[in-house]
Formats: sequence, structure tokens, C-alpha cells
Amino acid sequence: MGMTEYVHANLPCGIEYGVQPLPQRHVVTFQLRILSGTAGEPSEKLGLSALIEETLDKGTEKRGGRELSDAFDALGAACRSGTGRETTTFTCTVLPEHFEEAVSLHAEFLRTPTFPDHAVQVAIDLARQEITNLDDDAQGLTDKLISLQAYGPVMGRHILGEHHTLAAITREDIVRHWRSDYHAGRMVVAVAGSVTAGRVEEVFEKYFSGFGSTKSQGRRPTSIEFLPATTHRHKDLEQEQIAVCWPGVDATHADFPVQQVVLGILSGGMSGRLFTEVREKQGLVYWVAAWQDTPRGYGMIFLGASTTPERCDQTYRTLLREVDRLAEDIEPEELERAQTGILASQDTRGDSTRARCGELASDLFYYGRPVSPEEKTRRIQAVTVNDVRRYLAAFPRDRRCVVTVGPKPLGVSDCK
Amino acid sequence: MSAINPYTLRTLDNGLRIVIEHMPYVRSAAAGFLVLTGARDETRALAGVSHFLEHMMFKGTKKRHWREITLTFDRMGSTYNAYTSEDRTMYYGWVRSADLAKQIELLADMLRSSLPPDELDMERKVILEEIAMSKDNLEHLAFDFLQEKVFAGHPLAWPILGYDETVGSMSRDQMWDYFQRRYTPDNMMLVVAGNVEPGAVVETAEKLCGHWPRSSNGHVRVPPRIHAGVDALKVDRFKQQVVVLTFASIGAADPAAETAAAVATILGGDNSRFFWNIMQTGLSPRAGVAHLGYSDCGLMMLYAACQPEKAEDVVEAMRKEAGRITHDGVLPHEVARVKSRRRTSLAIESEAPYYRLTQLMDDMEYRGSPRTVEQMLADVDAVSAESIRDYLERYPIHVGGHLAGVGPRLWPKGG
Repeated sequence: MGMTEYVHANLPCGIEYGVQPLPQRHVVTFQLRILSGTAGEPSEKLGLSALIEETLDKGTEKRGGRELSDAFDALGAACRSGTGRETTTFTCTVLPEHFEEAVSLHAEFLRTPTFPDHAVQVAIDLARQEITNLDDDAQGLTDKLISLQAYGPVMGRHILGEHHTLAAITREDIVRHWRSDYHAGRMVVAVAGSVTAGRVEEVFEKYFSGFGSTKSQGRRPTSIEFLPATTHRHKDLEQEQIAVCWPGVDATHADFPVQQVVLGILSGGMSGRLFTEVREKQGLVYWVAAWQDTPRGYGMIFLGASTTPERCDQTYRTLLREVDRLAEDIEPEELERAQTGILASQDTRGDSTRARCGELASDLFYYGRPVSPEEKTRRIQAVTVNDVRRYLAAFPRDRRCVVTVGPKPLGVSDCK
Repeated sequence: MSAINPYTLRTLDNGLRIVIEHMPYVRSAAAGFLVLTGARDETRALAGVSHFLEHMMFKGTKKRHWREITLTFDRMGSTYNAYTSEDRTMYYGWVRSADLAKQIELLADMLRSSLPPDELDMERKVILEEIAMSKDNLEHLAFDFLQEKVFAGHPLAWPILGYDETVGSMSRDQMWDYFQRRYTPDNMMLVVAGNVEPGAVVETAEKLCGHWPRSSNGHVRVPPRIHAGVDALKVDRFKQQVVVLTFASIGAADPAAETAAAVATILGGDNSRFFWNIMQTGLSPRAGVAHLGYSDCGLMMLYAACQPEKAEDVVEAMRKEAGRITHDGVLPHEVARVKSRRRTSLAIESEAPYYRLTQLMDDMEYRGSPRTVEQMLADVDAVSAESIRDYLERYPIHVGGHLAGVGPRLWPKGG
């Protein structure tokens, strides 16, 4: 099997794009990433980005929201969108014969939305309901609270905003923010599937030529503010939610593959240390996990679990002990197992066109270029036991954020 | 999508059915054992035993300690798991094609579990945590409540996880007895999809599973009676109210199952009547319709989450939409778009072995044989405005049904 092939360039209209042609596939997936998210919202208008995402397709200069949705459905397009801290994404999978029409429909709502008054009011009303509803979602609420501590008041914002900021948002605010941030210079497009690079270039240039500024923007990281503390939110629940985090490395750091392997050892499968020690040996939890989150320029390691209140302290102690113990007694066999897990997952998921597109989009965002599976494989395979020890020494978890949500606070505030 | 039949079907002498789909264009393969037992096959006293057993299958065999089971999965880099439903228990692993034989061997060994007595209480604690977690989830709580009422008096009323008291007191002997009766080769299937050599898979299966003893158990599932009525559960710790209208429907094996799915999509899927006429009026941030197909019965479930004070308005709006689709029928473009979307989703699902595995399991369980993508498309094409009208005449959703409310308000009863 030869090296994976990509095309990566900029279109005259200003869009940066990457293509992975997969001619044997039956579908095409493309992702349009607008480099604008919650971190760029005015502080008194939080929630603006998600409202734009929600209302963009509720009407265009050419047709109403229902007609637009019907046009997508006529193509059988499988679409989804999402708002993040630094980007807003629109992902679409279609049969190859509908590729151009699907791109043209995206261009229509991204370029000529009318933001109907009624749709804006409904979106604001529903967002306010969702903020209230977040209280019913113990894990979602925990994520919201720890994000604020991990990233500070700008990068730690929740996508829904707050009740008072939503109340301050008008249709004019939405239009103004869309005009400022939705243009070709802030667009990154990833395409994978049964389509040629030439066809991608032709179609995107045709539909996005003249879409605002061609100047490259939105590519610099936003600073985070890490606020180590232990906090508790009382809620009358059966279980206590526990979340812990501390800074790690960002996706472009030389030690990023080491971090991936560390997470694989801790939480890469049922033989991972956390699952084994917290669940299998002590029966403390049903779910436990370690994961990373990597805004551009930063990395954060998270541990999470939920357990009944009387077992919360023991769970918390075990979580932290396992991270410490890793530096003391890592075995070459578990390093190898974690590496295999990462690489096998890359291979199996690679059979999905959507997964290929997602991977390419992520590489363009973090690295500014496609990164082949072969290169990723080499970097993971190069990680050694000494790398893991060095990484764990360089990124200690002494300064950490801890959030619990449930009936009682932790009884152990600073155990190591 | 090829018109060539890519399937290999075999039945071993002991009754174990094997179905294999050869996907030469992928690099991976998925294998799974489907056990035709689930929560509905339990007694009330043993509610949760199917799910408890699913956990215990990872806890050890004569050949492997539990630690060796998880290590073997992870040494292959397998994406693996198991789940239990009302009708089935499934164990699967998705690996690089070269590791398929090892994956099948591991799964086959697990299903001859020794149910290690010293692991039972540890796993009991894990499941009690899982039950506690489920109680903190409003939608899980509402769904369990709904099933308890709609299927009252029938095993489908038990929650899949069981109850604190049944899981807390279940003995190994009781579990072993259920295991011996239900995990027999004539009650199981081995399903494989991916870049595989079918002959080698059959040979592996024969060697690993061919000696498993066939059972003579005559367990027969009895279809439930589906109850109408009104029930409410007040739970103060939640802010939202979940309201659910439920009606009798067809099972997953019924030839009209695609039509029932189309009704659910037109009424309550993306770009549906519920989306535009309920969510986009600000009544509810989450409203939809689902067709739940079991092996011998089904439910059509109209649901929404809303502010407690809006519950009446939301239910009225759902009933209004149910009446409109019944009396006025559906528009040709509504049917056409369901078909278009289904075509794309079939193309997406046909790419990756794990997704094909789950489709094959559905086909094998409910139809007894796999369908090619062309056959699935033909079933989708058979959906029409007329078939939808016929379905709604046979299974009306505009009158009667069961109404449930779960949330901080005791509504509809006494609200």
C-alpha cells in the first residue's frame, strides 16, 4: 500500500482546503470550518455563535428555512453542525452525484442568510430553556463548571451563553457578528471520498468566489487562564460527578504523541489502569475515563468518574494515585498495548469516509497541513518508556482543577 | 454497492447460525455473537440477570482470568463492547482484518464463562452504580417508567438493568441456571463483516463452537398486551418535564417496518412536522417520534422535553400533528425525502464493518436472513403515501394511547 495522498492549497477566493480522494468509496464528506467560535464573542453577548449556527439555515435570500431543509433532503444529505470555542463547523455527507448541489446549498445559507425575526426569537428562547435544562444533565453541568476553571472566562465559556447575555442579543447583533466573521478568509474546508481534488477546487471556487475578505484570519490561538481550585456544586443526585484536570501539551507539541500514549495506558481500553483499578478491582464506578482536550496552543488532561457519594473520596484518591503510579512502574508491555490501540483504531475507523474527513479537518486546524496516517504511526511508534516518565515529570498534576457535582463535597481536598 | 450476493450462511450441527459478509474494499473486520436473550426473558425476581450476565462474560473462563480477557482485546487494539436490550445480548469486537481469528476465539471463549464466584460481588457493585447513574438521567428514568406502565404485567416492563433489590440479591446459582438455558448455540448467532475469507471464518467457528451442546429448552416468548391510560411520576430534582404519548405498533420483523420508520421520520425526525411546528414555535427544545420495534411487538412513541408549565400545550401540539398526518396524509415530497436520506445512510453504513455488523444482526434476528443493500433499498422504495395511510389505519396514533409525564410536576395525573 502506497503513501496516503492529499491535496492542500488555497483557492483564489481565500478558502484553505484539503482533499483526500478515495475513488473507491460510495460517498463524499466535506466539512466547512468557519474560524469563529465562542471565544470571539463580545462578553455581554455570550451565546451569539451558537445562535448564528442555529439560525443561518432558517431562511436565505432565495428561500425559506423549510424549503432549504427540503432541498437538502432531496439530495439525501446527512448534515450536522456544531459550535466550539474557536470554530463553527458544518459537515455533510452525500452520494458523489450530489456533491456540487450540496456545496451550493451550503454557500447559499452561509452567504445569504436572512435571519428571520421569528427564527431568531425562537432560537434565543430555546437556548434559554436549554441553559435551564443543563441542570438536569449532571455530566453536562460538570463539564461546564470544569471548563470555566480549566480555561478561564474567555475560553471556558459555555456555547449556550448565559440567561442575561441571551436576553441582550438582538437580530442586529447576529447579523453584525455574521458579517464580521463569515468570509472565505476564515474558512477551512476538508473533503474526503469519491471526488477529485480538481472537482473540489472547481466547485468551491464557483460557489464561494467573492465571499467577503480573502485575507487569512482566525488562525491564532486565544489565551487560556488556568484557575486551579477545588469546587463543589450541590445537587440532589444519586451519584457524585467527579472531574479533575491539569495542563498538558497542545496538539503540535513534540510530546503530543507521548501524551496520547499516556492516555492510552490510563484509559485506552478495559485493560487501562483506570478501568482496572477503579472499576474492576474496587467496583467503585460504572464509568471512568481519562481524555485530553486541545484548543490551539494548549492541552488539558481530564479525569472523570461518577459514583455514589459515600465512595467519592476513595474514587478520587484512586484516580490520582493511578496517574502518580504510572511514572513509577510503567511496563513496556502496556506501552506497546497503548500504541497498538491508537494505531488499530486509526486503521479501523479509516474505513469510514466521514472519519477520514474529520481527521483531515482536524489536521488542517491544528497543523495547518494534512498529516498522513503513516506519519502519525511513526510518531506513536517512536514513543518510549523513558518518554512517558519524562512527560509525567514535566507535566505534574500538582496544580489542578477539581469539580464535584452531587450531594456532598470531597472529604479529601488535596491528596496526592 | 455490488449486486453480487456477498453473504455466506452456515448452520453448525449444534444449531449455531453463522453469517458472513465479505467486504473486499475495507481493511478491517468486525465479529459479534448475538445471543437471543434479553430483559424480556427474565422473571421479575431475576430482573436484570441478562445484563448482569453480559458483565460477567468479561470476568473469566476456564482458560482466561478477567485480566487476560481485557488484555487480549487491547493487545489487538480492538474496539469492543457488549450491550443488552429487551430482546438480545450482543458481544462484538472490531479489529484489523489480520486479527479476526484471534477476535473470534476470544469472544467464543468469553461466552463459555465460568462465572467466577469471587468476581460476582465486585461486579454487583458496578451494576448498582450503573443503576444509580441511570436514575440521575431524566430520559432514562422516563423511558423505564413508560415501559413499566405500557407493558404492565409483562417482562418487557422490567428495566434492562434490573432493580436494586434484584441485582443486590441475585445468586450465582440463579445466574448459572439462566446462563445454561439461554446461552446455547441454537439460541445464538456468529455474525462477521469485513475483509475476511469466509471459508476460514466458518472453519474457525466450527473448531471453536462446534462442540457447544445444543439445548432442549422450550422457552417461548409471549407477546405483551399494550396498555393505554395516563400515568405521572413526580421527581423534584429535575427542572424539565418529559411527556410521552405511546401507541401500539408493529414489531421489527413486520414487512411494514420501513413504513412505520417513515411515519416516525416524517412526524418527528430532522426537518419534520414536530421540528417545524413544535420545536420551532419555542414550545420544546427537544421533541421527536421513534418507532421501537421488538421481536413480536412495537411502540410508536411521541415525546418531548419542555418547561413543566408547557406540558399541556406540548401534548396538545403533538396530538394535533398526529391527527393531521392521520386525516390529511403525507405529501409526496415528504416520502421522497425519507427515501433519499435512507439511501445516503445505507451508503454510509455499508462502508464500515461495525455498522454492517449491526445491520446484519437486525436482519438475522428479525428476518432470518441478511439483506443486500439493493434489497434494503427495495424495502425503502416500497414506502408510499398509501402504505403510510394503511399503517395509520391499522395502528392509529390520533386517539387513545398512553400518556406519561415525568418531571417536577405531577402531571397529567393530579396536575
